[in-house]
Amino acid sequence: MQVYYLEFFVVALGLVMLMVDAFAKLQDKRSLARLGILGLGVVFLLLFAVQSPSNAASPVWKFYAAPDNLSLFFKGVALLTTILSLVMAIDFAPIVLSKIAPPDQGAHPQAGLGEFYSLPVFVCAGLMWMASANNLVSIFVSIEVVSITFIILAGYMRRNVGSLEAGVKYLILGALSAGFLVYGFAWLYGITGSMELGPITEALAKPGVNSTAAMFAFSLILVSLAFKLGAAPFHIWVPDVYQGAPTPITAFLSVGSKAGAAIVTLRLVYPYLTSPVLGTKALAILVVIAILTLLLGNLGALAQKNLKRLMGYSSVGHSGFLIMALASTSYPGAVNALSPVAVFAYYIGAYLLMTLLVFLVLNVLNAADTGETLDSIRGLAKRSPFLAGILLIALASLAGVPLTTGFIGKFLAFKIALDAGQWMLIAAALIGAAAGFYFYLKIAASMYLDAPSSSDGAAIPVNLLTKVSMVILAILILLTGIVPNVIVKLFS
Amino acid sequence: MTQDYIAVLVQIVLAGGFAVATLIASALLGKRALRNPMKDSAYECGMLPVGEGQARFSVKFYLVAMLFVLFDVEVVFLIPWATVYRAQIESGAGIFLFAMLGFVGILFLAYLYALKKGALSWQR
Amino acid sequence: MNPDTLTWLILLLPLLSAATIVVGIGRWSNLSALVSTGTAFLSLVFSVMLATNGEAVASIAYPWIDLSPSFQVNIGFTLDKLALGMMLIVSSIGFLVHLFSLGYMRDDSGKSRYFAGLSLFLFSMSGIVLADNFVMMFIFWELVGVSSYILIGHWYEKNSAAEAGKKAFLVNRIGDFGFMTGILLVWILTGSIYFKEIAQAVGGVANAGLLNAAVLCVFAGAVGKSAQVPLHVWLPDAMEGPTPVSALIHAATMVAAGVYMLARVSFLVDASAVAGTTIAWVGAITALLAALMALQQDDIKRVLAYSTLSQLGYMVMAQGLGSAGADAGMFHLYTHAFFKALLFLGSGAVIYACHHEQDIWRMGGLRKRMPITFWTFALGTAALIAVPFTSGFWSKEAILEALLQQKMHGPYAVGIIVAFLTPFYMTRLVLVAFFGPSRTKEAEHAREVEPVMWIPLALLAVMAVFSAYRFLAAPLVAAGHADFGHFFSHFGLTATLSLVGLVGGVAGAWFLYRTAQKDPISIPLFRDKFRIDELYLFFVDKIQDGLARGLTRLDRDVIDPLIARFPAALSLAGGSVSRALQTGNVQTYAFLFGLGVVALLYFVL
Repeated sequence: MQVYYLEFFVVALGLVMLMVDAFAKLQDKRSLARLGILGLGVVFLLLFAVQSPSNAASPVWKFYAAPDNLSLFFKGVALLTTILSLVMAIDFAPIVLSKIAPPDQGAHPQAGLGEFYSLPVFVCAGLMWMASANNLVSIFVSIEVVSITFIILAGYMRRNVGSLEAGVKYLILGALSAGFLVYGFAWLYGITGSMELGPITEALAKPGVNSTAAMFAFSLILVSLAFKLGAAPFHIWVPDVYQGAPTPITAFLSVGSKAGAAIVTLRLVYPYLTSPVLGTKALAILVVIAILTLLLGNLGALAQKNLKRLMGYSSVGHSGFLIMALASTSYPGAVNALSPVAVFAYYIGAYLLMTLLVFLVLNVLNAADTGETLDSIRGLAKRSPFLAGILLIALASLAGVPLTTGFIGKFLAFKIALDAGQWMLIAAALIGAAAGFYFYLKIAASMYLDAPSSSDGAAIPVNLLTKVSMVILAILILLTGIVPNVIVKLFS
Repeated sequence: MTQDYIAVLVQIVLAGGFAVATLIASALLGKRALRNPMKDSAYECGMLPVGEGQARFSVKFYLVAMLFVLFDVEVVFLIPWATVYRAQIESGAGIFLFAMLGFVGILFLAYLYALKKGALSWQR
Repeated sequence: MNPDTLTWLILLLPLLSAATIVVGIGRWSNLSALVSTGTAFLSLVFSVMLATNGEAVASIAYPWIDLSPSFQVNIGFTLDKLALGMMLIVSSIGFLVHLFSLGYMRDDSGKSRYFAGLSLFLFSMSGIVLADNFVMMFIFWELVGVSSYILIGHWYEKNSAAEAGKKAFLVNRIGDFGFMTGILLVWILTGSIYFKEIAQAVGGVANAGLLNAAVLCVFAGAVGKSAQVPLHVWLPDAMEGPTPVSALIHAATMVAAGVYMLARVSFLVDASAVAGTTIAWVGAITALLAALMALQQDDIKRVLAYSTLSQLGYMVMAQGLGSAGADAGMFHLYTHAFFKALLFLGSGAVIYACHHEQDIWRMGGLRKRMPITFWTFALGTAALIAVPFTSGFWSKEAILEALLQQKMHGPYAVGIIVAFLTPFYMTRLVLVAFFGPSRTKEAEHAREVEPVMWIPLALLAVMAVFSAYRFLAAPLVAAGHADFGHFFSHFGLTATLSLVGLVGGVAGAWFLYRTAQKDPISIPLFRDKFRIDELYLFFVDKIQDGLARGLTRLDRDVIDPLIARFPAALSLAGGSVSRALQTGNVQTYAFLFGLGVVALLYFVL
């Protein structure tokens, strides 16, 4: 099967969901989400049936990269994230319904819920396309498919000021960053005379390349990508949007959007890093951004009281580790044992598992009206030992406790920085990791050691699908923490 | 390197200077204007303005306008496609027709969706 | 099946069973017990298949963390005779103990938890046995500690059981700390964590002092796990766990892990004469002290626990000789595993029959009421006190002879003394518990146990007598088995002395305890275990706590402000700066965004 059929299937699935929502008289629109989960699950299985292209000369490959482990891995990440976000969205339905307009006379009581389930599927298609885009035009279009849909989703709860605010902020700043991206692309095209990444890489490696212009293009592109990744100093939108958006969308945004941005960053920054003319300078910028991100993200999280906001800062901090891996790329000619691509991919995979697990728990707490502040999970271990245990695993992994996947991710990032001799980076990362230990484990401690806030002692219901997803994620976290080779070997 | 920017600086100074110079010149050279509340009102002819300065439109208006722009712009894509259609088919790119069929198909589904959701009916 | 698959199955089946019980089927306790016993049986079958596979396979290695060439840790298996033999011991006794537990723990409320613990133990013990490097061994070493903790504290409602579990865990930590230090030192000295590479590199180590320290540190691990003096205090208390656990973990296998580890690294002991002598003496002292303490115990399981300590002392003594004694030590480990498991399970049967009565002075007359238990117990005792031609006799001879040959006269003399003490206290135990009239109602009402419990006893009794003979021992232990030719042609000092000790010990006990209704001799020092526990308590209470208080003050008043509170304040300040940027105003954000772009461009151009 050709690899681009995957995106066709996902788009078709999204269209089918929209049509079903519009024409079929569904009693409970949550079955739409179940349809979506099922369909995406099938597409995920199809990932393993992808063949290498039969006709390598086909014009398709000019804007769509031929399948390799990296792009397939990121497609898998996109699919998994979407599936889990839909799982969360099922639990979240009552809150969404209460925050959109009350239905008119005679309208469906769940009017407006169907799009909440279909739009993520289109985002998924966009993310999958991003993983394969190898042409400036297709990169831009796929990024915009994702961004525009996310703007709608972030502001979906239109009767909720926080959600509206999140949508508007994401819209305005996103538009700003998209502008920079296009401007950068224009310069890049002007310098290299090509829209395809392959010729661009070759052109940038030539000694005669106009270095000032090329670096100007680089900065503009990097600004936009740093915005999408949530890297300092372009991370300021992250906490606000994460806090305001509906929880499933926050989860989707923090993992899906970041994974997509990560793969695009990898593809766009790599030509610069491998260029003998521009490599040193590009690397220096990345190092500065990585250090800033590590410090601002992790230290900013220290004083947070709202869990979703805290996860926003945590997401920024993890971007720091990602960029650290990228900034430790070897110079041309240097011998480096570990491929930054492997570290990058591993870190994204690890980040997916642990972040989504945290959000799954947060989402259940949200749906049970427990609130999302740090105080609201005090003594959670007494109210719901299961949720507390699951959250503990996720937090331990986020903090980087050994035998969890988060530890291996951090270990690889440190290792590669050590190989590259980036001492400033390592120092910043150490501070970041130490701060991370503090604020993640503070949550864990308050779950287990504090008494529950008196008012609500009721058990928190968790439905079966959510429970199964949680257990699977927790097992995967431990498993990949114990046997990391499964993922690392894919890329070396 | 910084010297490269002197031209830009000069440009900025010129642009700002032009605006300021014009204002000053008009203040110096022009005749002093008459000012009273009647003169400052919206219609100098003496007609009293009614209601808000900005009239409110129904949100339906924007919705329909947006849908119009959307479909209009997407139809525009058909024209460049049509101009190179013959050449592409002769050079053997068989997918060319189906690509556009897919595109139009998605547009059609979107139209159906908008119709069913009542986006085009003014009454609801 | 090929050896790869077999080895993986042996290692992972018990883990699978433990996981299944904990995650899924724990609420059906009978099913859990069957699953656990089933995997133990499969483990035994696979071990036998692996052992009969021939010696074609030396080792298997799988990359675990592979960032080659800069860094690599393997999950590696050693499948030499030492490992295969030990694996057979572990899996066979493991299976029999599972079987016995089916009866013994029939009505226990925590049955699934118990069997999950047994499975976890089997998994971790297999890991130790199969490991081909120190890191892997250390990981499983700790896992064994965890499962031991879980099982000792199985009846955690009982305060003493919970305390005993905690004590075992803490005391083992001391040894494990040494072990870890030792591993790191060996790594520094030889540049490898793999046994095979260390064995080649150890000859080239120039720094003899550091090497001695390294070997002694590694030995500290064995001191903790195999309960040698001075870290022996946890083992008697560990008898608070269910009796089958005592048989499996605290007699036959886990406590022997230290001895096994020493045998595995006997090349290290060879390289360091100082360490070798120290090890031999620690073993000798343990053997002697434990035997003395056993003389005055009244609890049937505690007598056995001290005799275990004493026998472990023998094995460690042998390991002190390095590769010259490793085989003899492993031989004794092997025979001891069977007869001591038998004795413990026998005592378990007695305790079960007497409604959880453990004081031997409240038993008596059980010989008639529990004939199978009695006869199997007697055979186990015979092996333990080294009655000629039982398995224990051959292995003890092997150790003593090796000591004499290597001119370790001090430990040798101690060994002979212990060979006199052992028959004495074991005869006392048998006489008091099984002979004479019944002293309590419980003992009068005792009945023979059911087949699921006595079948393991019978099987083990066969092994207790015959395990040393060539037809059983040849596939199991690297070297050493009953050798009549050698025995008669070299009949000399060792054999004479140990026979004299045997006869003297049995006769003395017979004379003293034949008709005794209460203990005719009383030596408070032995009864109170030389007051070592009290000494430790005093040490911890007065000296360590005093030191800790001082350090706390130092920590709180000097270190904390300096390296914790100051940076914490600094980072919180950093946090508020980054928070101050979060005005929540989109215009500000866009402005900052632009500022960032300008800064970036300035930086680049």
